[in-house]
Amino acid sequence: MSRLPISNTIRRLRFDHDEMTQQQLAERVGVTRQTVNAIELGKYSPSLEVAFRMAAVFGVPLEQVFEYHGGGRGDEQKW
Amino acid sequence: MSFREKSAWISLISILLVSGFFFWQVPARMTAASHPALVRGLWYCVIALVLIEVVAHIVVAMRAPKDAQAPKDERERLIELKAIRIAHYVFLVGVLLAVSSMIHLGANVFAMAYHVLLAFVTAEVVNYAARIVYHRRGL
Repeated sequence: MSRLPISNTIRRLRFDHDEMTQQQLAERVGVTRQTVNAIELGKYSPSLEVAFRMAAVFGVPLEQVFEYHGGGRGDEQKW
Repeated sequence: MSFREKSAWISLISILLVSGFFFWQVPARMTAASHPALVRGLWYCVIALVLIEVVAHIVVAMRAPKDAQAPKDERERLIELKAIRIAHYVFLVGVLLAVSSMIHLGANVFAMAYHVLLAFVTAEVVNYAARIVYHRRGL
C-alpha cells in the first residue's frame, strides 16, 4: 500500500497505547483523522513538526515511529 | 469523508449544475441584442450558486460542527495548493484559446468574454475534482 520510502509503526503504537483511535491521535497531534489514516497507509509524508508531535504523543523517539528506506536522492514524493 | 472533501463535492456539483444551465442557455440566446439579458442571467446564476453553496455547507457543518470549525491541517492545505496549481494551467490554456478564437476565428468581444468565462468555470471544475481525487488517494 505504501508508495513512499518511509514506513511507520503508528498503528501498532496506537494499539499499545490503550487502543488509541485514529481520531484521538489526530486530535492530540492537531491534524484530521483522514491525515492520520493517510500517514499510516504510507500515502502521505507528514511534516517534521507533525512527526515529532506523534512521537511525543507515544513517548518514543522519532526513529521508533518512522523509518526511512530510500537512498540519498531520487526518492522524492512525486508531485 | 472529511469536511474539506465534502466541501469540494458541494462546490463541484453546484458549479456543474449552475454553469451547465447557464452555458446551455447562452448559445441559443446569443444575439447582439441579448447581451444585457445574458449578463442579468449570469448574475442570477452567481446568486443561485452562492445560495446553493451556503445552504449546503451549513447543512454539512451542522452535522459535523467540530470538523467544520477545525482549521485546515497541513495535508488539506497541500491538497488545495496542488489542485489550484492544476486549475491555473487549465485556465491559462482556456484564456489563450478564447483570445485565439477572437484573433483567428473572428469571434466578437462578447463571444470571447463567454469563452473566458467558460475557461474560468472549467478551471474551477478541475480544481474541485482534483481536490476530491487527492482526498480519496490520501494525497
